[in-house]
Amino acid sequence: MAKPKVASDWLAGCAGCHMSFLDMDERIIELTKLVDLRATPITDLKEPDEEGVDVGILEGGISNSYNEEVAIKMRARCKYLVALGDCAVFGGVPAMRNFCGAEAALKRAYIETESTDESGKIPDDPELSTTTHVRPVSDVVKVDIFLPGCAPSADAIFYVLSELAQGRVPEVNDLTNKWH
Amino acid sequence: MINVTVNNLPVEIEAGATVLDAIQLAGFNVPTLCHHPKLKPYGACRLCLVEVEGARKLQPSCVVPAADGMKIHTDTDKTRAARKFVLSMLFSERNHFCMYCQSTDGDCDLQQSAYREGMNHWPITPAYKPFYVDTSHPDFILDNNRCILCRRCIRTCGELVGNHTLSMEERGSATILIADHGLQLSESTCISCGNCVQICPTGALFDRRSAYQGRETDLVHTPSVCMDCSVGCHRVVKTRDNRLVRIDGDYDANFVQGMLCEKGRYTPVANKMERVQQPLIRRNGELIPVSWEEALSTFATQLKAHAGEEISTCIHGRQPAETLSAFRDFFKTEFEAGQVALCGQDESAAIALELAKEFGPFESKLEALDEADAAVVLGADLIKDYQVAGFMLQRKLSEEFVLIQMTKKPNKLGKNISRKLIMVGDNYADLLDVVAGSKAYESDSADARYGRMALEALAAAQHPVIVIGKWFARKENMDQLRRTIEFARSINAKVLIMKGNTNSFAGAIYGLDLRANYKAAPVAFYALGDGKACPKSLEAFKNSGYKIVQSSYFNEITADADLILPCKIWDEEEGHYLTTDGRLELNRQAITVHEQQRSVREVLMNLSEKSGLTLKADWQTELTDKISSIVLA
Repeated sequence: MAKPKVASDWLAGCAGCHMSFLDMDERIIELTKLVDLRATPITDLKEPDEEGVDVGILEGGISNSYNEEVAIKMRARCKYLVALGDCAVFGGVPAMRNFCGAEAALKRAYIETESTDESGKIPDDPELSTTTHVRPVSDVVKVDIFLPGCAPSADAIFYVLSELAQGRVPEVNDLTNKWH
Repeated sequence: MINVTVNNLPVEIEAGATVLDAIQLAGFNVPTLCHHPKLKPYGACRLCLVEVEGARKLQPSCVVPAADGMKIHTDTDKTRAARKFVLSMLFSERNHFCMYCQSTDGDCDLQQSAYREGMNHWPITPAYKPFYVDTSHPDFILDNNRCILCRRCIRTCGELVGNHTLSMEERGSATILIADHGLQLSESTCISCGNCVQICPTGALFDRRSAYQGRETDLVHTPSVCMDCSVGCHRVVKTRDNRLVRIDGDYDANFVQGMLCEKGRYTPVANKMERVQQPLIRRNGELIPVSWEEALSTFATQLKAHAGEEISTCIHGRQPAETLSAFRDFFKTEFEAGQVALCGQDESAAIALELAKEFGPFESKLEALDEADAAVVLGADLIKDYQVAGFMLQRKLSEEFVLIQMTKKPNKLGKNISRKLIMVGDNYADLLDVVAGSKAYESDSADARYGRMALEALAAAQHPVIVIGKWFARKENMDQLRRTIEFARSINAKVLIMKGNTNSFAGAIYGLDLRANYKAAPVAFYALGDGKACPKSLEAFKNSGYKIVQSSYFNEITADADLILPCKIWDEEEGHYLTTDGRLELNRQAITVHEQQRSVREVLMNLSEKSGLTLKADWQTELTDKISSIVLA
């Protein structure tokens, strides 16, 4: 039987969950024996295979129209979708801006910061994606497995992926359900 | 007794118990948020919903009384779904993002409840509505965004502390926690006891100093006893890496429901006074650091050069019993010093001993305040000097409680009690005559009606208690005190004499002079430790010849001392404290300090060695022998 294919991507997050993924150290070799690691933000291949993968992983919440597109594409191309980390599961740190609104957050970041002079302006290139309310991935597409944590531990990520690779649904337990 | 079954297991429980009590007695567990064992059942959060056979709907187990024959089920599809729904609603309402919060990862009951139900995401997206944050208070922050409206804080403030500062404003999902009628906490009637902060199940009320300093499990917990006053509240001293992080009331100790006051909870952690780090000798007006050896030799030489009346000593009541005993033995027995005093000018403990000689054991334990339905407070400011004992009276608002008080200065005790008679002054005999009925209560003041009600109610009270404080418990009032105790016996009232500061009671038993007529002397030693000198002792000390002080901090007494010795503070030394009601409590060491810091007791031992003396080790027998002759069990 072919090894299950795994692809990942990151959205409105800090890449910390992917760092935590790498934190599994030499177990990554063990993992590659179990799965075929395809597109990830830290490998050359950037987009999940058109013919689909078995497991899709998304880090980060949905903060703009581009994040939405990526999430929809990943959902369409994977059998199981994993929301990795507090931002993907709950909205996380970027969701803090929901309390004041994107407008105020952009103004603060691009105009009002102490290091910005009078030339500061909010980027408005038409090619840029549209900023939205920050949402968890599950608000945009169906999520099969939630792995909260800021970041989830390497142990938790290894456990979830190895369970999925072996055709089992990972348990919700003290290891896999730890919010921060 | 009634019989119920919990998950098909039969249990027998007292009538009047709640369904939750029965569940816990049967060994099962249902999650709770608004419920707290120290508070009355409230039923706000609905997390404890259980199935009761025959009931139309799920029942909140914390408030529903158990009834005979009830069949209770705690873990069914229906209850699990209900708990998840309740939690989903709670998470959707405000900012419960754990990664922003210092209470995360073990310290939050809300988070724990979600873990317990296996929730790993929120089925309902949060509303993202910002709520009021009050950062005005120096000790803690109120963040309404994390509030789940369980009202534990409000109930603590009212039911346990009796201060009634906190309440709710607005309705439904807009409800917020406020102080008084919407004042900032710093401007409100808040007394900064922090009991609301400790009982908060989430991060809505959180301690400024210990926030982000480590989770509960990262901290070392040392169960100890507060030694700021002689009430002796149990508290847990929390440290990390040998550093004081926070002090909490000890809910497990079951003393005054684990309450603390500002002095017991925040003052020691907020302390920024400059420590004396090594022995210092004043030479040509300047303080020179010296070795302990040199400092002790200087001390010993001064003692050798003077004798009896030429030596004047004073010790602070914050010192443990072991030290007070050694201090007495060293200076009174060995050196026959002219003065061996306990700082504070409060002789109430000695008066209590004096009265016990005539009346036998006549005092009660502090718990008498809890049981009381009427209290007569004579010459004490319970809120200022013994705050948690004050809580025990002022929290009786909702009961038919009566307070009669004669106080030297107006105080805050009983501000919420309606049936009260407060007289300001120090003519205790006058009030006694009124209370005893030998004199009519004549007053046309606005409060007179309540005063008369109070007097009537006192006559009908089942558990009256008479509390005597430092302004009344003085030698010149002995006759009135005798009359008071006789009166107490005639109406079957319990009596409590509030005894000075922390260890005054032990000091009195050891025969230290509690109301010394302080005199300056050629050589004076002040064992101040981490306490504060009373004005009279300070003045006499300043006028003395060679001035030796052992003080933890630089302060007015070290300002012109000739020899300054550093001193361990309360959390660096283990020792016993005799509370006002005769409980011998142990203050445990929570912090280890470097060897330059020594306790007063260690210094006395060092000096004894130098003088070839041996101090007796037994400090305890004297105390325990005396306690039984004064306080009733």
